[in-house]
Amino acid sequence: MSERDKVLGHADEADGIEEYDNPLPTWWLGLFAGTVAFGIGYAVDYHFVSKRSQAGEYAAELAAAPKAPEATAVAATPDAIAAGKEIYTANCVACHGPDLHGGVGPDLTDATWIHGGKLDEIAHIITVGVPEKGMLTWGPILGPQKVGQVAAYVHSAGGGQ
Amino acid sequence: MEAAPLSAPRYDDASVRRFITATVLWGIVGMLVGAILALQLAWAPANLGLPWTSFGRLRPLHTNAVIFAFTGNALFAGIYYSMQRLLKTRMWSDTLSSVHFWGWQAIIVLAAVTLPLGMTQGKEYAELIWPIDLLIAVVWLVFAANFFGTIAIRKVKHLYVALWFYMSMVITITVLHVVNNLALPATLTRSYPVYSGMTDALVQWWYGHNAVGFLLTTPILGLMYYFLPRAAQRPVFSYRLSIIHFWALVFLYIWAGPHHLLYSALPDWAQTVGMVFSLMLLAPSWGGMLNGLLTLRGAWDRLRTDPILKFWVAAITFYGMSTFEGPMMSIRAVNALSHFTDWTIAHVHAGALGWVGESVFAMLYYMAPQVWNRKLHSVSLATTHFWLATVGIVLYVVAMWTAGVTQGLMWRAFDEAGLLQYPNFVDTVRTLNPFYWIRLLGGLMYLGGIIVMAWNLYKTATSDSSNALEA
Repeated sequence: MSERDKVLGHADEADGIEEYDNPLPTWWLGLFAGTVAFGIGYAVDYHFVSKRSQAGEYAAELAAAPKAPEATAVAATPDAIAAGKEIYTANCVACHGPDLHGGVGPDLTDATWIHGGKLDEIAHIITVGVPEKGMLTWGPILGPQKVGQVAAYVHSAGGGQ
Repeated sequence: MEAAPLSAPRYDDASVRRFITATVLWGIVGMLVGAILALQLAWAPANLGLPWTSFGRLRPLHTNAVIFAFTGNALFAGIYYSMQRLLKTRMWSDTLSSVHFWGWQAIIVLAAVTLPLGMTQGKEYAELIWPIDLLIAVVWLVFAANFFGTIAIRKVKHLYVALWFYMSMVITITVLHVVNNLALPATLTRSYPVYSGMTDALVQWWYGHNAVGFLLTTPILGLMYYFLPRAAQRPVFSYRLSIIHFWALVFLYIWAGPHHLLYSALPDWAQTVGMVFSLMLLAPSWGGMLNGLLTLRGAWDRLRTDPILKFWVAAITFYGMSTFEGPMMSIRAVNALSHFTDWTIAHVHAGALGWVGESVFAMLYYMAPQVWNRKLHSVSLATTHFWLATVGIVLYVVAMWTAGVTQGLMWRAFDEAGLLQYPNFVDTVRTLNPFYWIRLLGGLMYLGGIIVMAWNLYKTATSDSSNALEA
């Protein structure tokens, strides 16, 4: 017990608390040195060797992502309308109401079509949304096929032009 | 809750008793609001449809109450108690002690009124409006004057390690609070920060992270260095380690704030600084954990019977765990998954309920009998509190880890066409709901624990003189 567990003798100046002056645990020093070395190495590598960046990471992920399917012509078949109704019920009722009479969003059954009432105009506005009014950009969420189906449903049930 | 002071009247234990009482009362309020918020997240009707009781307004009330009211008063109680004994002198000025106590409670009351009314600066953990910020600055400087005045009139030469940690808090919090709240007042309740955009965000998180560092970490470590060896009756493991981990901790902490802004508009180099300094914080943090746990060598057998040591061991273990988790979460790739999810909530509560809360409870169970000069009313109730708190934290943290990772994975899940697999946010909310109920259960256990403590300490303080520690 030479180095170990020798008290410093400050206790009378620390409300009776004794202190040993034990050496730093080796593994602790190793951990400290290791994180410092890793930190420096990482920073040098990230910015100067591998030259990585947030913008680069985004570009790489985008390039690796599956390409969005080509937009297909919207066809108002009975199958598409039935599928569109389901999509409408899951995503649209909160704003446009269960019977398309509107609420937060505009009525889809009246004669007024703010952004146009043709089938492809309805599909377009669903795809890009109306962010300034709070309507989401549904294109990337639903994909072109489902957008086409829900547009077909809205067009037929709502009486589009 | 006034009783005869224990030892010589040279120590101001009346202030300590007041701060302890405030700690317990605000602790119950802050944690009750926390439980209400947990209920609101699991069951939306609990928002009551009123603006004043909605989640957005009560959440800052909860965070401010537990950080500044519960923890703040606890720090002041522990610091007033320990620094007088370490420096063998009464606090420098009884007037300043009194102004400090009542000023701090006034700030808390103002916060409890303004936050539900929706008056906010919109900065996390710095929500309070500018007139209250000014009051905080004044009261904090009153405390600082009293603190350094007491050091100046000390009767010993040596400054024990606990005092360095307290000093780092007093100095750093002053700088952080003033710099982050610099604003141009427009009306009595509204102001505009002098910084804009990304600069404002960076200053905010430099503040936010170091509020964690210098209010919830370094002063609690200081209190550990006093109250743990006192309770265990064992020498501190290593003076050398305490010096090195102290300086490493305070030097590294101040740079780590940008890890709150990974994958944001913050320049890449600043994000790297935040991540790398956070990683380097691991060993300095663990230095505190080691010095705490190794100080208990030779006292482990008392863990079976002494609830104070039980609380310390659990608190230090949660500290070690949180300070491992924090650096991991600051790694870019991990943060990409964890950021904005309930994982962050799990992390802060392991730190706040585990490290801060259980340290405070250990300290209160040690200090209250001393300042009221009464034996603790019930050791078994204190042990019950320990198990309620610890099991409560585990339920809370495990539920939020699971919820957080699930949430992060659902947000980034794509189908084979490259479209989001869970495009509707509500899909994740439905999946997480069961975990929110488990979190509420854990939180209620923790709240129950502090109510048990309040009763135990009340009975201790009000028992008759036949229960005195000394005749």
